[in-house]
Amino acid sequence: MPAAAGEAIKSKLVPLAEAIGEHLPDGATVFVGGFGHAVPFAAAHEFIRQGKRDLTLCRSGTDILFDQAIAAGCVSKVIFGYIGNPGVGLSHAFNRALAAGTLEIEEWTNFSIVLRLHAARLGVPFLPADILRAGDIGGASIDVHSVTCPYTGQELSAIPALRPDVALIHAQRADEAGNIQFWGIDGDTREGALAAETVIVTVEEIVPADVVAAEPGRNILPAHRVAAVSLAAGGAHPSYVQDYYGRDDAHYSEYDRISRQAEELAAYLDTYVYGVADRAGYLALFDDQRIESLGLGDKEA
Amino acid sequence: MAEAVNEDLNLVVAASLSLKDGDTCFVGIGIPSLAAMLAKHSHAPGLVLIYESGAVDADPAIPPLSTGSPCIPDSALMIGDCLDVFGDLQAGRIDVGLLSAAQVDRFGNLNSTVIGDYRSPKLRLVGSGGAHDIASLAPKTIILMPHQPRRFVAFVDFVTSPGTTDWEGRPHPRRENTGPSELVTGRGRFSFAGGVLTLAETFAPFARADALEGFPFEVEADAGFREEVVLPAEHLALATKLSG
Repeated sequence: MPAAAGEAIKSKLVPLAEAIGEHLPDGATVFVGGFGHAVPFAAAHEFIRQGKRDLTLCRSGTDILFDQAIAAGCVSKVIFGYIGNPGVGLSHAFNRALAAGTLEIEEWTNFSIVLRLHAARLGVPFLPADILRAGDIGGASIDVHSVTCPYTGQELSAIPALRPDVALIHAQRADEAGNIQFWGIDGDTREGALAAETVIVTVEEIVPADVVAAEPGRNILPAHRVAAVSLAAGGAHPSYVQDYYGRDDAHYSEYDRISRQAEELAAYLDTYVYGVADRAGYLALFDDQRIESLGLGDKEA
Repeated sequence: MAEAVNEDLNLVVAASLSLKDGDTCFVGIGIPSLAAMLAKHSHAPGLVLIYESGAVDADPAIPPLSTGSPCIPDSALMIGDCLDVFGDLQAGRIDVGLLSAAQVDRFGNLNSTVIGDYRSPKLRLVGSGGAHDIASLAPKTIILMPHQPRRFVAFVDFVTSPGTTDWEGRPHPRRENTGPSELVTGRGRFSFAGGVLTLAETFAPFARADALEGFPFEVEADAGFREEVVLPAEHLALATKLSG
């Protein structure tokens, strides 16, 4: 890729296995991007393959990615507002781990998780909010302290900052330097990325620097905030990527059936995660018709 | 009597009728989404559907599976983020929230967290998501519940989303002028004007006793109680179509 005269671009582009291996240590608190859209399955499958342990996973509304990581034994704690299989039902491996007592939880609400990330992003220890003052969520798995506004005397909840060690983000495209372009449903993805110490990004495409520079409005993360960027075309399947491929709703329904039994789920992980080396190997497991109907084959690198 | 009636459609239609043209509406997934879609496609074309994923003024072509599903951004006039929409909600700029849950009690407390004890539940559910936030912050919250007696309990196993009061009748500490405004089932509409559930109307062909069948608590009728209100046929037809 051409650089300005006499100046070498510092490339952040590395294979995904290297990005996860170098930047995601055991015991890390990991924010997982993707609010239904652009869920970073390729990155999660990679940390599962590498046998990461004792992770704390966090985000507002979770996807079945959490369920898979829990089933694989990578997770000791989850911090969430919602945990399930969106539009389908429950998170079965999560429920089994809870019942077995092998999983710690911090259960908030979607707004409070967003505020926790936003506080970290702003570099303040908490943000006040008019929620979690009634009901049973405060006191169940979390303590919510109140704060009195020094100007008005209003009683509010003090929502504590949540600063993840690592954020895993999937996006449409980036340049080699690690300037990230993302569009479509964001949810709390950008909040979580900007709250985290270390950001690892997978993308559908690596594009020339001038493509990124031509549309700076699409940039959600500048290169200096990104530790590593890796190419993972199809990396959000079975979720979707706006303007690249559709959501595989059928896979979510199949997962609901499979994940009801621990043995069947173990076989699923053997096939779709441990049994492949990378995302290309994963996509090869699906028949051409499904790949085509989702539009997954169109932009493979 | 009730065999030929599709109660799910009644519920969607009746809830949609509570949404007014020009309202801004924070919409949950499932029946709430269908009710909002129906209102927008019938009597309230100016209804603004807002989803917690950050999508504003959405008009999904099909009932979305999740608030991030493609049919939402594909039809939205703006894609913001969670902070935009929850921020607007907290700032009082959204008129009404639509919620469903696994359990509801006569104080309008909603449970979407656990059936049974929190530490050793009989059934672990998905948790609040944005439900607690909507119930805490929306000026009006409309609760949509299929008429299944197991959903109606003397007091919910877990208060995910606060209603009017706790078990002992103490008002929940909450912002003024928020809380449940009504509950709609496939058989009737209830109000919380007095802090506890009262029956406002039933939908034909359901009589008062049908609307309360299987409830584990007594429900008074409102002063202006209306029995066997006929829901508009055009709405029922459109609801069928939108349900896919």
